[in-house]
Amino acid sequence: MSQIINISSSQLLLALVFILIAQASSFIYHLGLNRDIAIGTIRTFAQLFLMGYVLTFILKSSNPFLVMSIFIVMVVSAMFIIKGRVKEKQIPYIIPTFLTMLVSYLATALFVSGLVIGITPWWEPRYFIPAGGMVIGNSMSALAISLERMFRDMRHQKELVEMKLSLGANYREASLDIFRNAVTAGMIPSINAMMGVGLVFIPGMMSGQILAGTDPLIAIRYQIVVMLMLVGSTAVSSVVVMLFVRRRCFGSGEEVLLSPR
Amino acid sequence: MTPLLEIRNLSFAYEGSAALVFDRLNVTVQEGEFILVKGPSGSGKSTLLRLICRLNKPQGGSILFQGNDTTTIAPAKLRSTVSYVAQIPQMIDASVEENLLLPFSFAINAGKTPPGTDELKEMLSKFYLAGVRPDQSAMKLSIGQKQRLAIMRALLQKPLLLLLDEPTSALDQESAAMVFSIMERLNTEEHKTLITVTHIDYKPETVRPLTYTLAHQTLHLHESDH
Repeated sequence: MSQIINISSSQLLLALVFILIAQASSFIYHLGLNRDIAIGTIRTFAQLFLMGYVLTFILKSSNPFLVMSIFIVMVVSAMFIIKGRVKEKQIPYIIPTFLTMLVSYLATALFVSGLVIGITPWWEPRYFIPAGGMVIGNSMSALAISLERMFRDMRHQKELVEMKLSLGANYREASLDIFRNAVTAGMIPSINAMMGVGLVFIPGMMSGQILAGTDPLIAIRYQIVVMLMLVGSTAVSSVVVMLFVRRRCFGSGEEVLLSPR
Repeated sequence: MTPLLEIRNLSFAYEGSAALVFDRLNVTVQEGEFILVKGPSGSGKSTLLRLICRLNKPQGGSILFQGNDTTTIAPAKLRSTVSYVAQIPQMIDASVEENLLLPFSFAINAGKTPPGTDELKEMLSKFYLAGVRPDQSAMKLSIGQKQRLAIMRALLQKPLLLLLDEPTSALDQESAAMVFSIMERLNTEEHKTLITVTHIDYKPETVRPLTYTLAHQTLHLHESDH
């Protein structure tokens, strides 16, 4: 396999041609995206350069506490992104969501790096950080979809839920359909990704490994592990978060707490 | 004798509002009574029923059912004994029979034998629903038919107290008369205790109700009923 070719700074700037094309399209057709494209470009450069330096530092340091700190920062950032997307003021969902994310992602990343890939030490940052990042990124979107769906359905179907409660259903029975639909809605993108992988798209991690000179047959093995890991962690975190948050939608008398907007 | 229902010093305000809907409201309901609660819309009539079956939470006071504070009774147990029928009848997207048997799919009724199709058909005709087939979709029924079906469904668990929230507000005169007739029959023939809230001027023909008016954050018994 050939050595990876470095991209020089001038070559990197050349890639800005793509941004100029996007900016020109927005300008000509009055899409109103010029500002967002500019901010997005600056953030892409800044965040990735920062990440690059941080990773270089962590890979050299081999300090488990540092690796865990980065992991926690990633989960906290994901939580803030979810909070921005799920506009719910009445039901406190942040803490149960955050704790579930932390525990389930840690367990998944541990399982994959420690057992499936079999790295020692298990926190080896070259494996642990990217694996954790993929789990967090994937399941973050699933959780945002599920939470949004659960709160919306709970409000829209409040009368139906109360009808079931009035007939003697407990809160779990009264909200069973809403719970199922919320978890399903979050899981569908991960399942669809399993259907399309290798046919419709080549996943980012595998592309990266191939670009870096890894044998494609090794790269696919990593990718299979990653796909399965993503589906599993999404399922676990969605189910657990929805169980906790659903309980919070009901009061001590199992009454629906959400009021219509 | 322990009253069936006793409300003591009940206070309630909606979340985020300082205005009290109820201020130290007291009322006692004996078994077999037929109670009408009247009052203009917005006076809190529906809320009173919702508080009794714990669909809303009071700020103060207590509600006793058969002498027990309702907050000490498991919510599902309370609601299968004190059955609330909402103003707008809600049906699941399924057949009439599946809707009627819905309560029997809940854990609280595990082990109880649901009524058979023949029994349901007989009951349907008593509820002026003789033309309705158990296997037809409940979603396609008229609102008046849904309302009668909702009352029938609530009764299948044999509750001790039936709470009817404006049962005729969305109905035409003919359908409303059917519902009133069902309510009166439930009281006279099956000795059910009913609390019905309504804003219309309804005078029962076959039962002598206790009529309360909800005003100034509390209930007032009509003079004629004293």
